[in-house]
Amino acid sequence: MNRLRRALMWAGLIAIILLIFLSIYGAFVGAERAKSFFNSLPLSVYWLVLTVVLIGGVAAFRRLVRVPSLLLIHLGCILILVGSMWGSEAGHKLQERFWGIDKIPEGEMVIFEGALENRVILENSKLTKELPFTLRLKDFRIEYYEYLHIQDIQSRAGQRWKVPVKINTEFSLGPGVGTVTIVRAFENFKIKIEGDKRIAYDAPGPGYNPALEVEIKHPDGTVTRQYAFERFRGHIHAEEKFVLRYQRVISDYISELEVIKNNKVVAKKDIEVNHPLHFGGYHFYQHSYDAPLGRFTILMVVSDSGLNIVYAGFLLLCIGVFWQLWLRRLSLTGAKVKERIDGN
Amino acid sequence: MEIKYTIQGLLIYAAIAAYVSAFVVTLLRCRKVGEVLYLLGFVTACFAFGYRWHHVRHVPLQNLFEVFLCMGMVVYPLSHFCGRILRVGGRCADMLIGAIVLFPAGFVFSAQPRHLPPALQSWVFAPHVAVYVLSYIFMAKATFQAGCQLAARGDNSDEKLPGPEEGTYRMICAGFPLLTLGLILGSYWGKLAWGDCWGWDPKELWSLAPWLVYVGYFHFRYMFGNKHPRINSMWAIAGMAVIVITLLWANLSELFSGLHSYAM
Repeated sequence: MNRLRRALMWAGLIAIILLIFLSIYGAFVGAERAKSFFNSLPLSVYWLVLTVVLIGGVAAFRRLVRVPSLLLIHLGCILILVGSMWGSEAGHKLQERFWGIDKIPEGEMVIFEGALENRVILENSKLTKELPFTLRLKDFRIEYYEYLHIQDIQSRAGQRWKVPVKINTEFSLGPGVGTVTIVRAFENFKIKIEGDKRIAYDAPGPGYNPALEVEIKHPDGTVTRQYAFERFRGHIHAEEKFVLRYQRVISDYISELEVIKNNKVVAKKDIEVNHPLHFGGYHFYQHSYDAPLGRFTILMVVSDSGLNIVYAGFLLLCIGVFWQLWLRRLSLTGAKVKERIDGN
Repeated sequence: MEIKYTIQGLLIYAAIAAYVSAFVVTLLRCRKVGEVLYLLGFVTACFAFGYRWHHVRHVPLQNLFEVFLCMGMVVYPLSHFCGRILRVGGRCADMLIGAIVLFPAGFVFSAQPRHLPPALQSWVFAPHVAVYVLSYIFMAKATFQAGCQLAARGDNSDEKLPGPEEGTYRMICAGFPLLTLGLILGSYWGKLAWGDCWGWDPKELWSLAPWLVYVGYFHFRYMFGNKHPRINSMWAIAGMAVIVITLLWANLSELFSGLHSYAM
């Protein structure tokens, strides 16, 4: 038995050292390659062996059962490994083969505003699969931070300034350069011609062309007007002295979703980054969107298989580590030290 | 090198100066003056952190400038905690650690305020980074103790305090649960924000590596106890080396670009 325990301890230590080097290797190859590397057959064998070593350790070392905190730590690690394997792509294939559970491990949905959709484009392929319910995108919108929308101004000589977007507030660019005032902000900039005049206006309805109208006072007293466009960065006419860039800072992406099953709305949620929708064994994440026009949203669909097991593992590991190291180890050593001081 | 001619910069430089002075004065055996200077450095670092918080209007733990600023602030209370509660010395070294961690905030990283991108707008953001900051300071103290052990000397003559090998162990015992919590919170947050508890991102893998090194340390120490104190210390130093890589190289190098690039 002692030999078995020693072998298990060494196996555990070697597995840990190996994983340290594998993690460092994975960090160098990038997320995509690391993902396929850690999901490859040899590494699947490694994860399996690691799980067996952990289970073997719990079975062989009575101390791990006698000391609840140590048991929690090791059980936590086992649950994290088992839950991750259960939720992996290979785990889903096994679930389908042996238990007939047909779930989509991971994929994407493209949903246009107002449209209904239940097709999921599978990860790493162009195949689609259907969900047993439908999603409707009521609205997709992007929100911006109100202040500190930065307008970047660059002179032809290469000097640069950053000016916060505050309407009708004059900013000095320094002596001998002039001042700038942002006189108007547009959500959907358009130009119309009335007589011989060009008139800029904010067009209502669909369309997306954010812009700023900027008044520049030059040191000689002349005043010129320029436009800075978010979508056409660095737009400049030959006679203009400054290159203007207008960049707003996105604060949130929001997809207003409804889940429809048997022609009834069974759930509603405005999903944002960090606030996914959980329904029918899947999580739906705000993933991407129609960048220029915002007509559709792209959701990531992820199966929740094994997730509760992983979370249970996290909880056990966390409780176990704090219990063992803070409550048992540090409070014990603290008490010992106090005893020694009192003894002296 | 970026010198900051701002109130923020001046507060950081004042805190660095106070920490360095405290270190020098304590080395010269004027302990009381050193303590006063150390406290002054802490108060100044608190002001610098508070000023930053007020300026950016969110918990200032978004980028490396703010993380190092926070580290410079927490060194003092952790130093007290370790001395009084855990009975681990190295207070003089803590003063130097305070100055070292504030240096990048003062001279290396940009203090340009930035809005929080959508991914960082989560309740997990502040606790995830904060527990890492605390654990890194504990691990830095563990490394100092391990260095003393390798140099085969205690850092002070106080017989009531344990030797450096035991000191290293206690510091790792204090820091490891926080490191674990940071990793778990990060994993939970990854699930909330990106759909995966583990995305195999370079930063994630680099942050797993030090956790594994300390797991290795505990197992090695359990197997051999104090039979190989130098190897125990080498584990602790290796853990800190990987933490430094995780914090700096993995964040700054384009080699490891990924989902965590906004930490720069």
